[in-house]
Amino acid sequence: MDPYELQTFRIAYEVTSAVICFILVRFMVKPYQFTKESRYLGLPLGFGFLGATYALSALVYYQPYLFGNGTIYFQLILRSYAFVFLCVTYYFSRKSVENSRRKLWNVTLVLLLASLLTFFVITNIPVVDLPSYSLTSSFTRVFNLVCLVYLCAHTLRSHIEKPDPGTLWIPFGYIFLAVSQYALIIYALDASMSAWWSALAIRWMGLAIFLIISCKSFHCVKRGIS
Amino acid sequence: MKKIAHRDRLKIYGDLLAVLQAESKEEKIVLTRVQVHINVPFDRLKTYISELCDLGLIEDQTSCKLTDKGRQFLVEYEQVLDFMKRMGIAYR
Repeated sequence: MDPYELQTFRIAYEVTSAVICFILVRFMVKPYQFTKESRYLGLPLGFGFLGATYALSALVYYQPYLFGNGTIYFQLILRSYAFVFLCVTYYFSRKSVENSRRKLWNVTLVLLLASLLTFFVITNIPVVDLPSYSLTSSFTRVFNLVCLVYLCAHTLRSHIEKPDPGTLWIPFGYIFLAVSQYALIIYALDASMSAWWSALAIRWMGLAIFLIISCKSFHCVKRGIS
Repeated sequence: MKKIAHRDRLKIYGDLLAVLQAESKEEKIVLTRVQVHINVPFDRLKTYISELCDLGLIEDQTSCKLTDKGRQFLVEYEQVLDFMKRMGIAYR
């Protein structure tokens, strides 16, 4: 594949990933819309930020000279925040709905958003010396992997507590996203193209699982109760 | 009475509407049977039914038949609950 074809493919790939994530946001916001419990806000925020990073990647591939160094760094950090929002949502979903817990979640949400805003400002100030991109990328990917392992463990625990064929797929979705991050770490270490292609393919599989499960819940659940 | 996790009002309304919908297939809705399914004291059950009626989710407190709004609420409730269960997120 020549460099131009590769760039076109990468843009199309990132745009598709972003579109899938934005469709997922529409489904992920429903638990919050229905229950008005702010602790479920992490789901749409997580997938929304993930979609935004993919859209940002596509823009950077499309116009590499238009965006500054800070945008590329911020995209890495934003992706980590997306996984943090998902982890925090899963963590708080197991807790009881006492007022103190609600306050703790609200404070966590505000702190996360405030720190994200701080990172945005830091990465976009030209005078700040940023660490090397490959180092930051490796660190954030390892961090993302840790978050995804937590999400896999949490969803698998839920499945083991109440075994149901319907609850088995989401752990696989998170496992695929984790394997994709792991493959990208390998690519960052030894520039293996097979790891890079695997990471892209596996990420799509993970996102496809989330999309299929969401559609199944909202479009295939029988109307009315049996 | 079996011990269950603390439920918020929305979950009680959803569960109650589901039981009323299922019971409406019978000739007459027997409230004591509903009470057993929903697992709340009888006086509280009467309060919830009155609240559902005020919200327009059931026709009246005697027949306890679901209105269109009640059926719509139940469908949405089931979809959201199913989605959260599949996502591995607890709703309590």
